[in-house]
Amino acid sequence: MRADVGKFMETARQELKNQQSQMFLMMVSLGAPLLRQIGMSSFPDPVAAESYVRAIRAEVIARMPELLEEFERSATARGAKVLWARDAAQANNMILDIARQRNVSYVMKGKSMITEEIGLNEYLISNGIEALETDLGEVITQNLSLPPFHLVGPAINVPPAKISKAFLKKGIIEKETIDPVELGGGARKYLREKFRHLQMGIVGINMAVAQTGTIINVENEGNIRLIKSSPKTLVAIMSLEKVIPTMEDAVYMTRILARNCTGQKLTTYVSMDTGPKKHDELDGPEELFIIILDNGRSAIYENHHTREILKCIRCGACLNTCPVYTKIGGYPYGSTYCGPIGQVLTPMLSGMEKTTDLYRACTLCGMCKKICPAGIDHPSLLLSYRAREIDGNKKKGKKLENAMASLVSMGMSHRWLWNLGVNMTRPLLNRFAHDGAINNIPVGVQGWFRCRDLQAMPAKTFHETWDDLQSDSVPSEKTKHMEDS
Amino acid sequence: MPVREEILRRLKSAVKIANIDRPAKPTLSEMTMNREQMIQRFQIELAAQTGVLYQVGNKEDARRILTDIIKAENLKSFIASADHIHGIHITSLCSENGIPVTFPGDFKERDTLREAAFNADAGITSADFGVAETGTIGIIFNPKHPRLISIAPPVHIAVMSVKDLYPVYENVMEKFFLNEKNIPSQFSFITGPSATADIQGIAFKGMHGPKKIFVIMMMDDS
Repeated sequence: MRADVGKFMETARQELKNQQSQMFLMMVSLGAPLLRQIGMSSFPDPVAAESYVRAIRAEVIARMPELLEEFERSATARGAKVLWARDAAQANNMILDIARQRNVSYVMKGKSMITEEIGLNEYLISNGIEALETDLGEVITQNLSLPPFHLVGPAINVPPAKISKAFLKKGIIEKETIDPVELGGGARKYLREKFRHLQMGIVGINMAVAQTGTIINVENEGNIRLIKSSPKTLVAIMSLEKVIPTMEDAVYMTRILARNCTGQKLTTYVSMDTGPKKHDELDGPEELFIIILDNGRSAIYENHHTREILKCIRCGACLNTCPVYTKIGGYPYGSTYCGPIGQVLTPMLSGMEKTTDLYRACTLCGMCKKICPAGIDHPSLLLSYRAREIDGNKKKGKKLENAMASLVSMGMSHRWLWNLGVNMTRPLLNRFAHDGAINNIPVGVQGWFRCRDLQAMPAKTFHETWDDLQSDSVPSEKTKHMEDS
Repeated sequence: MPVREEILRRLKSAVKIANIDRPAKPTLSEMTMNREQMIQRFQIELAAQTGVLYQVGNKEDARRILTDIIKAENLKSFIASADHIHGIHITSLCSENGIPVTFPGDFKERDTLREAAFNADAGITSADFGVAETGTIGIIFNPKHPRLISIAPPVHIAVMSVKDLYPVYENVMEKFFLNEKNIPSQFSFITGPSATADIQGIAFKGMHGPKKIFVIMMMDDS
């Protein structure tokens, strides 16, 4: 489902009134950080564990081109076919070609954000190849045409009755039910028949190990292991930043990824594939294609500041602590990536002009930066986007705003001018005050009041108050203290 | 310019940031566990995922446990990774219990193996190692040990030796994957049965893979 990034405010307002969403957001915001903390506390030194992982991610960023080349060499040496794709169109075409050449009628997909990003399902389906999601959450979002509500549990908020209706229509279940286990059981039965005869599978990649050419997937449901075992042809697709130096790094990383993602110490399955199956093996892919997709990453990499977005390991921890995400949920973000990571990544992928609401919907509280196991400084990125936008606007000329800024700047550098300004502005401004706060002014600066109030100006300036205090007969704190002792 | 070169050139021409040396790799409390502690931790972690650990003294005990599982779970057919798993003769176990069993050697190609694996009530396999840290078992897949046996059937029974139990993942990686020439086409960590919580956050086992997992640990495997 391609969501609309331009409807942030509208969707956010709807979601604030949606009781179902609000209930789950409450659950996510209370439960997920706690589970994460319990998971992390099983380390003798959680801070050291986090620092180590941040160092691995920093190294990946510093050494990215050489690591990618090393990965390509190692994977090719093991018999994988490594392909490079510039953008969504190229990657989608490659996969369509592979499917067509093998004459497959359907493909099955493991949960992968990158295929969501490039709209692979829609592309394959519009070209006559059925594309089936297999992760339960994605089966639901696919059948209901919903965007993801959460990075990790894309359909966690969807009421079972709604799922039941969609599953019934599709023939996944035979009778209505609101029991999550029965709904899951229906999907299991339905998809098993597809797994059994599968000819071509598609998976994302959590980590691509440069040292050995190994691709690693972490999952709980087993759908990815089935997709990596049953069909003859396997396509694995990764964005540039999935590469990691060594097997040892990857194994250490699984600990942190699982704990930050779901609070688990490890996911149920960690499958590590190095090349296609050996010729005398009965199952596993005969041919393994690994698509290394850029889709805007190399441009993000060119800027040394935005480069750090590529440290992300897609654990979703930043969502669960974000005061904005935990109020509005995933839908308003209008793309594959919601929450703080979506706010820093989507503007880079979809363009700054269209995504201004995304980088403004932030209180700069810094919880995402604090919790991020990869060491991303989301707030400073968002600030830089805001600055970029303002710089851009200046050139276009927002005359009123610029004039006001110049005026304030001049006033701030001359005390007498400042005091004059204050005394002149106070009566004008305070006319709009109610109970000490101004929540709207009919001219010029309404933008300010979209999300904040202005305090009414006090009757006296700091200097005036200070002078009053000096001439006051009440003894100061210091002298009072001396008298007491 | 080909896409590969275009991407790499852009990455290489970007401003370089020096790679900062890594801090020392943090130690884990599990690293110093003795055998008893490892077994205890393995059992607790596996049980937390609804997996069951049986510590058995010899192959007779193992057969008895397996027979109990077959009856309790009402298993009607098996697919096994080998005829002899840690000394347990699977053919005779199955014939005693009157259930059919197939082995990788019975299949010439993928489709028949797939049919058997998806139709079997249970897959019984060896596990190449166990990791105490999280109650994880590991399987190295190869021509003698296909992948589907441990993932397609609704029940997975894994047999391992206590000698192959290690404290943390790193021990396993060192032990089995140090030699880069012998890296298997796939190896997997398995921690409990297949699981999901994608609807309303309600967790249940057996989404696409096994609904139940039993680990039989041979305590005296000589």
